Amino acid sequence: VSVAEAGRWTAILCVVLVGAGTAPAADLLPPDADLTAREVVSRVEDNMRGVKSSTCEATMTVVSPRLPAPREVRFACWEDRDGDRSFIRILAPAKDEGVGFLKIPPNLWNYIPRVERTVRIPPSMMMQSWMGSDFTNDDLVRESSALDDYEHGFLGVDPAFAGLDGPPRRAYVLEYLPHEDAPVVWGRIVVWVDAERFVPLQQEFFDEDGVLLRRMRLGDVREVQGRSVPHLWSMVPLDKEGHETRLRYQSLRFDEPVDASVFTKRNLSRRE
Amino acid sequence: MGLELRLAWRNVWRNPRRTGLTIAATVFAVFLVVFFVAMGAGLHEKMIEDSVRVHSGHLTVTGAGYLEHKTLEYGVSFDPPLLAALEGDPAVAGIAPRLTGFGLLSKTAKAQGVMVMGVDPEREGSVSTLPERVIEGRFLANGTARGIVLGSRLAANLGATLGDELLLYSVAYSLEMAYELFTVVGIMRLPEPTLDRRFAVIRLADAQEFFVYGDLVTEVALLTSSAEAAAPLAERLRGELPERPESPISVHTWNEVLPELEQLILLDDAQMYITLAILVIVVAFGILNTILMAVLERTRELGVLLALGFRPAAIFRLIYLESLMLAGVGLCIGLALAIPAVFWFEAHPILLESESMTAMVEMFGMEPVMTWKFKITNPIGSAATIFGVATLAALYPAWKASRARPVDALRAV
Repeated sequence: VSVAEAGRWTAILCVVLVGAGTAPAADLLPPDADLTAREVVSRVEDNMRGVKSSTCEATMTVVSPRLPAPREVRFACWEDRDGDRSFIRILAPAKDEGVGFLKIPPNLWNYIPRVERTVRIPPSMMMQSWMGSDFTNDDLVRESSALDDYEHGFLGVDPAFAGLDGPPRRAYVLEYLPHEDAPVVWGRIVVWVDAERFVPLQQEFFDEDGVLLRRMRLGDVREVQGRSVPHLWSMVPLDKEGHETRLRYQSLRFDEPVDASVFTKRNLSRRE
Repeated sequence: MGLELRLAWRNVWRNPRRTGLTIAATVFAVFLVVFFVAMGAGLHEKMIEDSVRVHSGHLTVTGAGYLEHKTLEYGVSFDPPLLAALEGDPAVAGIAPRLTGFGLLSKTAKAQGVMVMGVDPEREGSVSTLPERVIEGRFLANGTARGIVLGSRLAANLGATLGDELLLYSVAYSLEMAYELFTVVGIMRLPEPTLDRRFAVIRLADAQEFFVYGDLVTEVALLTSSAEAAAPLAERLRGELPERPESPISVHTWNEVLPELEQLILLDDAQMYITLAILVIVVAFGILNTILMAVLERTRELGVLLALGFRPAAIFRLIYLESLMLAGVGLCIGLALAIPAVFWFEAHPILLESESMTAMVEMFGMEPVMTWKFKITNPIGSAATIFGVATLAALYPAWKASRARPVDALRAV
């Protein structure tokens, strides 16, 4: 057996082992008969259907072996769901106060008050870290539609999925496979959906070679204006040991009047 | 033996034209082999020198693990004990601390992802040719903060000219947003277009501030006398450098830092040696053919020798000596022509001026110059190989001649 061959077999073995280790199929119950995968996804979407805009205040906490203490970033956000535009203004730390992000697909603009410059983040930077966190710029501007851009498969039902917080919950486990032409960078996404409230509890992102790259968990699900919305997001990149980013919404409101002028480059570079 | 030698020498010159042609073929082979091996050596040395003088140095001191991951996790403190240890070794000819990071460089609407290297303006020139590559403006200087020197294609893509303020944008080691305005002080031309398009240098101190990196660097590039001297120096430094259990240091030679360059050289060598092997085999057949013809032509004469009491072993020696003489004369003339030629070309490298040639050579990241390099192993190795092959080729005719039976041989025409 040549070295190359041995290497190949080792690689195959690794893929099989890793696959077996991460495949959720192991102790899942067979899918319920009354809902298809697509219907589950549709129910999740329904939870947010009709929302025209949202405003938030949130704190992002970055944990990394690089940092002696977790780093916190506080920001406010405005989203125009109809126009698929959003705006973020950094509130803290003081050094970055006033930094703004404006998303008008397919562009993402970043304004930096200290140097009075606006940068358009180019496509090549989309997979780079957003503000040093484990979220990427792409997470901010992602345009894909959960319903239209994927083929959905039902992997099973987890009778007691232990999520980020709270008691274990019954969860539908779905597989999202992006369509050929979909604007999606992942090869596969596995999603755990709360079977009762139809909110996602966990998402696992795989690359095209089937390697699990990151895991996002959602928790602190609260009722906001009649909708169940997770208020705590945790992103863990699996290729970087000891890293985690947590995003906690202090406030989240829907359909409060948002002036259209918020989503302009003029507003982006406005001095506070 | 003396008689055989004299006989062989005379026989060699009995048919001067045939002998001359065979010698010419040998001369040709020797010349080509020595010349091309020297050209390969020159080319490869140039490739290595050009590459190490842009990228890595002959040796690179990094944090253990940096080479695999190329992230800021593996910083090395460039402190007085490390500097003293490096300066203490007489083989170290240049020391350049660097901080290599990645970011976005933007001029108003245009932005480009870049590799940005923080260098010590005073030390950098002792290892790399970066300061000499500036074609417009000047290189960095310790006195001026926040200057930036751009690759020429990068500058063109951004539409940046001297004096422009560019925004460098990245994520610091502390995971903060890193952004700073830098003034274009110079534009440099790098031979490798892919690098020229996305490479910029700033002062090490500015880079350390920008990436919030303290007094750390990602690598210390070292220059030594030649590529060959790198491995023994690396071995020595591994023992000499200060021990740092909390952040171990590792020393890499150029071929570990640029494995693709070494691969390219090995591949190129393999191709060259296969071509030369074919050439040598053709020449061997030429010698074989000449001697065999000579033997067949002289069957009668050999029969007479045998009838006079020459032993078959003596006939074998006679014919064998003739072949060796042919090869030997060819070798001597070939070497006498090739060695001065190599020396001459080594002193007079050829500039490749044509545009297509320049473009092709630039793909490999070297300057469009053809150079030769004389190494004593080249003529010795080439001569030994050709002589060895010629010796083998002579076995058959010599053996055939010694097998002749006097009666048959005398009857032959």
